[in-house]
This record gives sequence, C-alpha cells and structure tokens, in this order.
Amino acid sequence: MRLPDSPMVHVPQLIHFNKIEVYLPENMPLEYAITYTAENSYENWVHDAHWQFLITPQQNSNQDFVGVEFKNSLNAVNEFSVNGYGFSTIRVHPKQKFKEISFEAHFKLVKKEVNPFDFISEDTIQEAYDKINTLTFKVDYEAFLRKTPFTTLPNNKEDIFDFDKNISIFDNLQALNAFTYTHIYFKTDVTDVNTLLDEIIEKRHGVCQDFTHLFCALARKNGIPTRYVSGYLHQGNGFFGDSAMHAWAESYMPRIGWIGFDPTNNLLANTNHIKVAHGKDYSDCSPLIGVVYTTGRNKTSHTVQVSSQQQQ
Amino acid sequence: METTENQMFSSYQRNPELFDEIYDKDGKIMSVYSELFDLYGEHSIKDYVKLNDKAKASFFNQGITFQVYDKKETREKIFPFDLFPRIIDPQEWDIIERGAIQRSKALNLFLWDIYHDKKIIKQGIVPMDLISSSANYLDQMVGVDPPGGIYNHISGTDVIKHKDGKYYVLEDNIRCPSGVSYVICNRTALKRALFGVFNHYKTHTVTNYAENLLDLLETVKPKGVDVPNVVVITPGMFNSAFYEHSYLAKTMGVELVEGRDLFVENDFVYMKTIRGPEKVDVIYRRIDDAFIDPLEFKPDSSLGVPGLFAAYKKGNVTLANAPGTGVADDKAVYTYMPQIIKYYLNEEPILNNVHTYHCSRPDELKYVLEHIHELVIKPVDEAGGYGISIGNRLTKEEIEVVKNQIKETPRKYVAQPILSLSVHPTYIEDTESFEQRHVDLRTFTVLGKDREFVLKGGLTRVALKRGNLIVNSSQGGGSKDTWVLKK
Repeated sequence: MRLPDSPMVHVPQLIHFNKIEVYLPENMPLEYAITYTAENSYENWVHDAHWQFLITPQQNSNQDFVGVEFKNSLNAVNEFSVNGYGFSTIRVHPKQKFKEISFEAHFKLVKKEVNPFDFISEDTIQEAYDKINTLTFKVDYEAFLRKTPFTTLPNNKEDIFDFDKNISIFDNLQALNAFTYTHIYFKTDVTDVNTLLDEIIEKRHGVCQDFTHLFCALARKNGIPTRYVSGYLHQGNGFFGDSAMHAWAESYMPRIGWIGFDPTNNLLANTNHIKVAHGKDYSDCSPLIGVVYTTGRNKTSHTVQVSSQQQQ
Repeated sequence: METTENQMFSSYQRNPELFDEIYDKDGKIMSVYSELFDLYGEHSIKDYVKLNDKAKASFFNQGITFQVYDKKETREKIFPFDLFPRIIDPQEWDIIERGAIQRSKALNLFLWDIYHDKKIIKQGIVPMDLISSSANYLDQMVGVDPPGGIYNHISGTDVIKHKDGKYYVLEDNIRCPSGVSYVICNRTALKRALFGVFNHYKTHTVTNYAENLLDLLETVKPKGVDVPNVVVITPGMFNSAFYEHSYLAKTMGVELVEGRDLFVENDFVYMKTIRGPEKVDVIYRRIDDAFIDPLEFKPDSSLGVPGLFAAYKKGNVTLANAPGTGVADDKAVYTYMPQIIKYYLNEEPILNNVHTYHCSRPDELKYVLEHIHELVIKPVDEAGGYGISIGNRLTKEEIEVVKNQIKETPRKYVAQPILSLSVHPTYIEDTESFEQRHVDLRTFTVLGKDREFVLKGGLTRVALKRGNLIVNSSQGGGSKDTWVLKK
C-alpha cells in the first residue's frame, strides 16, 4: 500500500532522513478501528472448507488490543487460535455445503504514540558491526538472516547495496530504505504473491510486499537480521475505500532492538503502522489460508478500512 | 573352497574376501550357529524348497505384501523372506542396544538444543548450515517444548557388521522408520515353518514391541491427561507401509485413523466415532511433517488435519515423532554424531560411525584425492543414493572426472571408506542352494519420558542380488528373522 500523497514517479534525489513528519502530538494514544471483509463465491457447491485468517492486530508494547468482532455469513463457529509462529488466528470450518461465504472482522486497538527515533545506542559504530559478526549473534538471528525463495537476490545483483561501515547500522538501513523506495516503482496488478526478486529487480516495479522482500534481502545480505511484517497502514482520517493489507520490514540492531522500516513509503514504521504478524517473508504471513474442496471457478475479494480517533 | 557333509550347505561356497557371520577365521562354524547348522542339515534341499513355498504362502495369507508398480500392471508382492535366521549373541547385542539408546538420546538432546538455545552451534561444535540449509528444520518448532521432552520417540538405527567384526552405524532414521511389523511377521513365519528349532535356542521375543510402544507413548501424554487416548494416523491404504500401520494399531489395541477421521475444535483434537466425538491425546503419526496440517504446511495436503499444529503448539496433543525431527535425520548431521554424543552425554560413542572426510577441509581433501579408489564419494546435499561414486568401481577416466568435480566445489562432497558388509548364508531360489549374501540390521528404539526400549531383534535385510550392497526392499532386498539370544 502506498500513502496517497506518495509520488508515483521517482526523481532520484538525496533524501534527508531526519525530516520524518510527526503527525500527532507526543504521548497521545490513538484508537484505531479496522474493518476487514472478504467475500468468496464458487461456481459449484463447496462440501468442505477450512480457512485461517492471520489478520488480528498483535498485542505488543505499542499496541493495546481492545476488541474483536468476527462474523461469517454461514454462522459457522469462529475459532480463535494461533499459527505455528504464535500469532493470533481465526479459523472457520462451515459444517454445511455452500456456494458463497463472506467474512467480516472489526478490530479495535489503542496505539501508543511512536517516535521511531526514540532510542539510545550505547555502542560505538565499530562495536555494533563487531557484534553482528559474532557467531552467537548469527545463530540467535539465523532465521531472519536466511535467504528464502522470496528474499534471494539474482546472482549478479547481490551487491546492489553495500553498507558503508563508517556510518551506523541505523543510518545504513535508512539509506537502504530510501534506496529501495527509489529502486522500484510502485505499481499494482503487475506482480502477485508469488513474484520473486529476479523479476522485481529486472522490471523495477511492484507493491508493498515486493519492496519489503527487496529490503529484507539487502539488509540480510549486509548481515542485519530483518523480518517481513504484515499489518495495516492508516492512511489518514476520513480516508475510505477499498484497500489491502500492508507490508513493511523490521530490522534488528544490537542494543536498539527491532525497528520498523517501510520502504514502500520511505518511512520508519510509526503510529500509523498496525502490526499483525512477522516472519521470514510473505509466506509466513499470508493473511488468509484456505483449504477448499470444490471444482470450477471461484471469485475472492477483500477490503480493508482503517480509521482513527484521538483518545480523550 | 570348503565343502561339508551337511546336505543343506553342501554346495555353499565361501569367498575368503568376505566376512561370513557363521564361520570363524579358521573356517569353523561359529559356536552359536553349530546347533542350528546341524538342525537344518538334517533336511534335504527338497524339504527346504517345500518349506520355503509354505512360508511364502503364509505371508500372502496374512496380507503382508507391498505393491510393485509396473508399466503394465500393479502387483502385490511379498517381501522375500529367508528361512535361515541370523543369530546375535548376548555380548554383541549388548553393544548394539546400548549404542542405539546412546544415539537416540544424543539425537533427542541435539534436537532440543537446536530448537532452543542452539548452544552446540554457538560453541562451534557443529556448523550453522546444519539447520539453516536443512529443508527439514521447522522454524515453527523453535521454543516448543514437546510433551515429556521427547522428539524422536521412535528411531530406526541401521547398523552393519564390517569385516573387522565391528558394528558400524549407517544411518539414524528418525522420521517415520518402518519395518518393525516385518520383524514380528518374520518370527511368526519361521515359527510356523520350523517351530522345532526354537526349542534349541533361548531367543528373546519380538512380539512385545507393540505393548512397549504403547506404554512409552503413554509416558509422553499431554499435561493434565490421566489415561491418554492413543491413535495411529496413516496416509491411507494405498501407502506402501499401510500393513504396518494397521498391524501396529491392532496390536496396540488403539484406533487406526486417517486425517478425515479427526478434527480440531478449540485447539483440542477429536476423533469422529459412532458414539460422538472422542478426544485424542497422543498421535503416532506415519505422515510426514509437510502433510500433517494443511493450514500450517502444504495447503494441498488432504492427508492431515486442519488445525493440528496449533493444538500441538498449545500442548494439547502429542505427536510422535515430533514435527521437525527430520532435521537430525540427515547425512550432514550423521557425520557429527561422535561430537554430538560427546557434547551432550560426555560419553564415547559405543557404536562406530563410518569415518567421514569433509572435502571442505584442505588436509582431508588431499587425503580424499590420493585415496579415491578406496573411498565412497557422496554429495552432501543429495538424497536417495543419487550422485554416489564408489571408488573401486570407477575406471581411470571416471576417477579423473570425479576428482575434478571435487576440486571444483570441495564443500559439496564428503568421502567415506568403502565398507564391506558381512555376509550370511541365504537360500537362492534360482540355484536352489545357499549362497553368501550381504546383510545389514535395522534396530528399533523407543524413547519415552525417563524410559526407553530397544526391540531385542531387528530387521536383517539381505541384498538378494549377488555382490549387491544395497539391501532396500525396492532394490530387490529380502529379510531374515533375527535372533537375539538370552544371556
């Protein structure tokens, strides 16, 4: 997802990193309401189906999850559970045959004001690079340093972004965020959930998950544990209409911890980024997994709306 | 060549190059075999042929068959069975049994470690790519504590006897090792055919496997369960090991189920029965990791149970073996077994590992290139015997090709000495006589919470083709009853 005011055509330029706009007064928690809907229709009867939704906002130090309402049009039982990585899921298994089913979820949460620059690093630049090169560090963060099919760079493109060891890891990651933002053009409907980096780098276009996969690949290539995050992006009050879930990345820095980078918008993840889950790549975070036994064609659509209200 | 007066073995030819298990160095019958040798010798080959036919019919009648897929037809075949048993004396068995337990326990501790703190990697004892480049390492298992702390409940350790008279481990099968039903059926078949011979030997029973398996599976029940409900889950009747799945369920006295017989509700697993849903606590699964839960792994799998992994992760059901165990069932992990045993148990390995040279290490590479004619060269990342070169069977030109391949990407190759599997007298239908054939032994070890069990016996597999070293049933292998003698 792209913020509405993002430029659609890039003019390569130097980006001044510290000019991130802070949208809200500090320490003012925000309440968000998220609506997710999905509609599925099938040409023939479906006799058996299982769905698993990975769309529930995560409960974490910045996100206080206050409520969920989930409905499906067949009134089947909705089971609240977890996936293999411990993130909240909702499973649905209708006990009757059907040709159409729709789902509607409402989430409410309170998000703390996030200032992405609010951290203290006690390490010198050199200490931080030394630390990420230790075996213990590489073993502890192995999963998020690994090359997966979605985060494998083409052989001749492995060096398209090398870190400058004279500046901090954080500064390098910000530069990488800007690099990714300018390296590919945001364009919908040209890639899908199976598109690999070879094609994205060659054609230089894609959507949020493609930006995020490229960011993950290049950060990992430079030794920085980086994970794929799926969630919602609040695009500003009063914004309505069809949209999708968003993706960004989180990178781990010694003593600082995980910091979110949104390469699709060249932003640090902030109050407007509502996290659902993370993983090695998209395949760990797929919002909807369905096991549906039917024949013929089917149609699927889904919508996402995010609105906010400042708490009194 | 030495012949004897014994009618049955009169034409038995011994190749002095091979290690024959029933003869000692001086060409005398080993003492444990002498009585058996005489007992068999009382019969003529003609009698034996009849017995052999009866035994085959017995397997067909019991339905112990596997399917052979041919271009024209699909046939039910029996796993060829040899009526001349293999005997293992108590002293030797003691080594095998203690060695198998030691390996299973070490592998269990290794699995716990690599799914928790990964200390063995951080201390540099095994390399990180054992997990990062393994297709069987399940990230979803990181931090999960399996009930009772057990991952590899059932292990099938394959051992061979080398010509130095010592046992070597070929591999540790800890995914879904199969074959135990053949061990029991072989015993039954031999008793039917030649019950008299059992009066002369004090042999350990093998029919206690199922009760011990059930007992040990009950020790790893989920928390808060009193009397666990155990089931066996099978991919279905078209699976080549279906007979074994049904046999184990029947002899344990538990239900045999397929994925569609189970369902998950509120993270508990239930079985559909005519009396309504019945909660399931322990699942002996004979389905590979990738197929157990379509919502978590392969979405197109119809063999598993949607939601099963979430129930497992919440500690509401035990899966045996635990998901992700396959990472330790790997050629690369095998080569580190001596270090793994030492690291976790502070013991020397009881069973030998076949020494492995890593071509990635310069001094070992030099050795490999100089001694290629006496080594087996294996690519580290290929499975199923693909890409293996046996040094003494290569032509000069082929040796040069292999050498160049190794030099090009040394880290892709390991090398091992060529092992000479022991041989055992085996009846060959074509020649209607006994001939020397290579054998190995699959042992079965079960780990429970603070308890373990090794089946006193095992599956002796025979390579029926002359000179063949490959004993797999798909490659025309047969099997023998294996007697472990009481002390």
